[in-house]
Amino acid sequence: MFRVLILAALLAAAPLARACGYCVEDKMASVYDHAVVTAALGKKHQVAFFHVEGALPPGEEGGRALERLAGAASGVDPGSARASAGSASLSVAFDPRRTPVMKLQQEIERKLAARKLSLMLLQVMDRPAEFSPSVSAALKRKGL
Amino acid sequence: MKTSLKSAILPFAAVLLAACSPSSAPPAADPYDISKMDLKPVPAKVSAERHTGKFAEGAALNYGAELKPLDPSPVKTIRLDTTHKIIEIAPGVKFSAWTFGDQVPGPTVRARVGDRIKFSMTNRSDEPVPGVRMTAAPMMHSMDFHAAMVSPQDKYRSIAPGQTIEFEFTLNYPGIFMYHCGTPMILEHIASGMYGAVIVEPRNGYPTKADREYVVIQSEFYAKLDPAKQKVDGSPLYVLDGDRLRAAQPTHTVFNGSHNIMVRNPLPAKSGERVRLFVLNVGPSRTSSFHVVGTIFDRAWMDGNPDNQFRGMQTVLLGSSNSAIVEFMIPEDGSYIMVDHHFANASQGAIGLVSTAAKPPAQDLEHHNMPASATPTDPDAIAGKQAFESKCLACHSIGQGKKLGPDLAGVSKRRSKDWLARWLKEPEKMLQTDADAKALLKEYNNLPMPNQSLSDAEIKQYQKYFEWIDAQPAGAVKPAATGH
Repeated sequence: MFRVLILAALLAAAPLARACGYCVEDKMASVYDHAVVTAALGKKHQVAFFHVEGALPPGEEGGRALERLAGAASGVDPGSARASAGSASLSVAFDPRRTPVMKLQQEIERKLAARKLSLMLLQVMDRPAEFSPSVSAALKRKGL
Repeated sequence: MKTSLKSAILPFAAVLLAACSPSSAPPAADPYDISKMDLKPVPAKVSAERHTGKFAEGAALNYGAELKPLDPSPVKTIRLDTTHKIIEIAPGVKFSAWTFGDQVPGPTVRARVGDRIKFSMTNRSDEPVPGVRMTAAPMMHSMDFHAAMVSPQDKYRSIAPGQTIEFEFTLNYPGIFMYHCGTPMILEHIASGMYGAVIVEPRNGYPTKADREYVVIQSEFYAKLDPAKQKVDGSPLYVLDGDRLRAAQPTHTVFNGSHNIMVRNPLPAKSGERVRLFVLNVGPSRTSSFHVVGTIFDRAWMDGNPDNQFRGMQTVLLGSSNSAIVEFMIPEDGSYIMVDHHFANASQGAIGLVSTAAKPPAQDLEHHNMPASATPTDPDAIAGKQAFESKCLACHSIGQGKKLGPDLAGVSKRRSKDWLARWLKEPEKMLQTDADAKALLKEYNNLPMPNQSLSDAEIKQYQKYFEWIDAQPAGAVKPAATGH
């Protein structure tokens, strides 16, 4: 219950992130991967979207470096990290039953500490808007 | 005495006249008085209740170039869902597009100042398609109406596949306004087809009466062959070329979403009629010099607002997301050629006709436009194509038979690479020593191939272009016109 309250408080505070100059949804869009989202929600996992604070290495390499670091954090679904250095955003899929989002954030931040980067939770996608069965089926066929 | 009386009365008269002069009359009401505009915010709503059925709905929507009269309702409910779809941007060029309302450009909204727009949009980019999916993966999208005065963070937020956003706003200014997807990378979303126009008429209508009204939307496409070499109905699939997009080097510049679409289907008009065109350049990166050959714009209302009026204009210059209403008379029977007078753009398809004939003769266009063709993507081949089209077309064709010199279709297969390089480098030497060169000279009435003083790099570019041509399906590449 306490975790739910913390999450609710974080989500309520999310509009504050708009002060950075990007809409929350735009930051999410830059790291939204439909295959990752569909696969995660299909197995009752969730997808967390973060704003990344700190000096990121620029360009695609910066994004890839962030993905490698976040992807190595405990609790992150393998291969699910998506990062954009341009919009300073990160998304990862995770199993909330095994790793609550707050712990997940701590785990990722531990990996990012050497680069003096920290995270601000923007939103957790915990249920599909509505995904068509055929797309899910296609993804399942691909083993995602 | 009379003189002194006059001199005494005149100053009083002047004061009285001054008091009655128009400058002292109360100022006319400002039609743009901000305090009287409707800026009442209503928060946007995002839900998981998705639309089904049609991808676009609303009495105020127009789906083609011809515009319906204004729907008089003061509240206009419109729905424009996003889809991913294969569209044909030129004959045989199937492009993986992202759309509003399942078409490119999206439907045109027609309304007037003071109208309330109630908008809703479902992100349906995830809807299943029959067969193998060749459209882009589902992604987040948004809607940015330039006609609205609202908080972008609230109304223009991106929504995930399956989500629906609803918001409303009142139209405060007349004009032709762009709408587009504003989700990062915006450049990619616009270049993939996510744009359209909102026409906002002045509260009391336009000051002139037009016989015909059409919308013309100019845009660029940046296409390359699908690296996975997928095919759509036997034609190669084209996808967005990110490198060309960032370098602002389009492969197609078109009116209303397709190369020469209004050449194939001219906009009808009759001699003596007054035509009103609503012209919008959505870019995303090029400027348009919009011109109609054979007439003069009696009125040009920049950004579509009659308060921004020019008279007797030959061209309107439209930056990305700029617009204009242009009105002109059709002086006599004929085909009046709409063209971007940046002819590099016109040659890529930004051309159309307003015609008094149902099927105008094809030669009307030959000097303005190149036929649609697939475009090479290799930088050397592109350079070779440009050089060929500017220097060689007077004497050579591609696939259209002999001119002063040979038809060069298949030349990279008829001749060895080395032979062709030597021929391009030093044709006069080849004519002295090479039997094939001598035969060519004889066949073409002793007209020698001139030495163009080409560098090795330029020769390589020509060869790359010829090789590219010969790799295309027969007849797919046609020669560009010679131009003036």
